[in-house]
Amino acid sequence: MELSRRRFLQASALTAAAAGFSAACGSSGAGADGKDLTLWYWGGGLSDKVVADAKTHFAADIALTASSVGGDFKQKLVTTLAAGGKSVPDITGIKGEDMASFIPSASRFLDLNDLGFKGVSSQYLAWKTKRAQTPDGKQLGFPIDIGPTGMYYRVDLFEQAGLPTDPAKVAAQIKSWDDFFAAGAQLHRAVPKSFPMRNLPELFSIVVNQGTKRFIDESNHFIGDQDHIRTAWNTAVKGFTSGLDGKVDDNSWNAAIATGTLGVELGAAWHALDIEQAAPDLKGQWRVASMPGGPANDGGSFLALPKQCRNPDQAFKIISWILSPENDVRGFTDAALFPAAPAAYKLPAMTAGDPYFGGQSTIDVFGPAAEAIPISYEAPADAAVMAPYRTELTNIEASGKSPDAAWTDAVSQAKQIAQRQGVS
Amino acid sequence: MLSHWRQYLAISPFYLVFAVFSLFPVFFSLFLAFQHWDGLSDMKFVGLQQFQFLVRDPVFWQSVGNTLVIWVLSTVPTLFGALVLATLVHSVRRFKGFYRIALFLPNVTSIVAVTIFFGAVFSNNFGLVNAILGAVGIPPVAWLTNPWLIKLVIALLMTWMWTGYNMIIYLAGLQAIPPEVHEAARIDGAGPVGSFFRITLPMLRPIVLFTVVISTINGLQSFSEPQVLFGTNAANASLGGPGQAGLTTLLYFYQEAFMNNDYGYGAAIVWAFFLLIIVLVVVNWRLVQRGRKA
Repeated sequence: MELSRRRFLQASALTAAAAGFSAACGSSGAGADGKDLTLWYWGGGLSDKVVADAKTHFAADIALTASSVGGDFKQKLVTTLAAGGKSVPDITGIKGEDMASFIPSASRFLDLNDLGFKGVSSQYLAWKTKRAQTPDGKQLGFPIDIGPTGMYYRVDLFEQAGLPTDPAKVAAQIKSWDDFFAAGAQLHRAVPKSFPMRNLPELFSIVVNQGTKRFIDESNHFIGDQDHIRTAWNTAVKGFTSGLDGKVDDNSWNAAIATGTLGVELGAAWHALDIEQAAPDLKGQWRVASMPGGPANDGGSFLALPKQCRNPDQAFKIISWILSPENDVRGFTDAALFPAAPAAYKLPAMTAGDPYFGGQSTIDVFGPAAEAIPISYEAPADAAVMAPYRTELTNIEASGKSPDAAWTDAVSQAKQIAQRQGVS
Repeated sequence: MLSHWRQYLAISPFYLVFAVFSLFPVFFSLFLAFQHWDGLSDMKFVGLQQFQFLVRDPVFWQSVGNTLVIWVLSTVPTLFGALVLATLVHSVRRFKGFYRIALFLPNVTSIVAVTIFFGAVFSNNFGLVNAILGAVGIPPVAWLTNPWLIKLVIALLMTWMWTGYNMIIYLAGLQAIPPEVHEAARIDGAGPVGSFFRITLPMLRPIVLFTVVISTINGLQSFSEPQVLFGTNAANASLGGPGQAGLTTLLYFYQEAFMNNDYGYGAAIVWAFFLLIIVLVVVNWRLVQRGRKA
C-alpha cells in the first residue's frame, strides 16, 4: 500500500490520540483511596527480604510498590519533590549525609511525631533521631541504620611489630590519637610496607565526626576556623609529617588491603564487608578494636514520608514495622545495615562471632560505640563547607603543599562557600 | 502560514521538544543566576550577588584555567592528527573503507566506557602504562595524582575520542578538491609537501574553520571525562581529583548545582562560562580567517 500524505497524517494523529488516551487512563487508576503506596530506596539501603515481607504482611490493606532507585538518589528525590504531583513516593529513603540538606525543606515532609514516632523514639539512639529533627522539633526521618566506627587491624602484622593483638588490650593501649601514631610508627618500623592510615581527608573526617561541633553552629555562624577543626586538621597532618600516611586512594584500596599496605583500617561497622571482599584470603587475620580518640559515626540513613503521602497512617505503620528492632537485625544480616535500635544488639544475630574476624563478636566494639556517639549539629551546608578542607588535605598529600598554606586556603574557601550558602 | 499547517505540524515534534527541553531551560537558568535556590525551598532574589561570589571564587578561576589547558592540550593534537590521518587515508588505494571505520570507531564508543578504560590503563599503582614503564626500568609515574599529568590524561582521552571524527570531516574536504588542481601543480613541479601546503591546506580552509569552531565548543565543555575519572574519589567526590586538577568548569557547575544544590550559583557559573566560550570562538574564527585576506 502506498502511504499518502493524508493517510500518514491521519495515522499519526490517531496514534498520538491513542497514546494520550491510554496515558490518561493509566494515571487516573492510581490509588486516590490510599490503598497503593510507593517506597523509594537505593540498592542496599534496606534489606530486600524485609521489604518483600512487608509487602505480604500489609497485603490485606495496602499494595506496596517498592522501587530500588539507582544513580544519584538525592538528586532524583529533590527533582521529584520539586515537581510534586503523583510521582512523589509515599515513603522514601534519605541518606544520612543528605539529611541535613533536607531540614530547611521540612514543610515538604510529614512530621513523624504526629503519626506516633514519639511513642517509639526511645527505642532508637537519641543522637541519630536528632539528626532528622528540625530545630523546632519536627521529626522528618525514621532511623534505618547507623555507622559506628572502629579500628580494624591485622593480628599477624601487630604481632610482628610487638603490639598487643587482643582487641581489649589493643583498645587499652591505643586510646588517644597520640597512642595511635605511636603504635602506627611501631608497626611501620617493623613492617615497612605497612601503614596505619589510608589518607589525610579520611582521618580528618573521622576526627571531625568525633566532636560535638562541626563547621557551622546552631545560630548559623561559620566555626570552621576554630580550634576543634584545627585540631582535627593537625591530627591528620601529623600522620603525614610522621610518615605514617599510606596515601591510598579508592582505586588502589582493594589492593592495599589485600597486600598489607594497610595494616590498620579505620571505618564504620558496615566497612567490615568491604575488607572481607577486598581480602578474602586474610580470613582470621583481622580484628576490630574501639576507635582511638572516641566513638564516631560514619553513614546511616532514614525513611521519610513526603507530604504527598496518600495514606500517612498506614505508611507509618509500614516503616515502623520494617525498622522494628527485630527486622533491623535482619537488615544487618542481609545488607550489613547496623541497627539504630540498641535492643537489637542483644539479639543472637548480632552477638554471634564473625569467622572473618577470627570469631570475634564485633558487637562488643560497635555496640558500646553506637551508644556513646556524641550529639552534634550538622547544618544544611555542612557537607559543602567541609569539601575544601578535604581537597586541601589532598594537596598536602599529593603535591607537597605546606600544611599552613593549605589551612589558610581551606578556611578562606570554606568561608566563601558558607557565605554563598547563606551562612553568616 | 495557516495554509501550510500540515507542514508545520510535521516539523512540530522537534520544535516542541526543543522548546521544552532546551529553550526554556536556557532562559530559566538565566533567571536562576539572579536567585538563591536550593531546589526545594522558596527562591530568593539576590541580584548580582552570585556573580560577585564568582569573581572572588578561586576555584572557579582554577576550573577555567583547567578547562583552557585541557582544551589546548586536546584540540591541537586532535586537529593536527586528524589532518595527517585524513591525508594518509586519502592517499591509500586499498582498504580505504576499513581505515575510515577503524579510525572513526573511538568516536562512537561510549565515553564512559572509554574513560573507565583510560582510568585503568593510567592507574597510579596498577595501571598498564606504569607496568610497561616498570618493565623497562622507569619508576612509576603518578598519572592520576600530578596536576599536569591529570590534565594530560584527560586531553589524551579527548584526542582519542575526537581525532577520528575530525578526520572524516577533513577527508570529505580532501575528496572535494578537484584532482585537476593537484595535477596542474604536479606538472608545474610541486612536490607532495609543497602541494599540500600551497594547494590542499588553502582549499581546506573553510573545513578547518568549521572543525576549529566545533572543537572549541566541544573541547571547552569537557565534563564526562573528569566526572567519571574522579567522580567516586572519596576525598572530594566530583571535584576533579587530587588538587582539583581535573575540575573543569562544567564539572564545577555540576558540583555546585546538583551536588551542593546551589542552583543559583551553578547558573551563574555556566552563564559566565558561556560568555567565555563566545569570546574564544570569535578569537579562533578571526585567527583562522586572517590569512584569507592577505
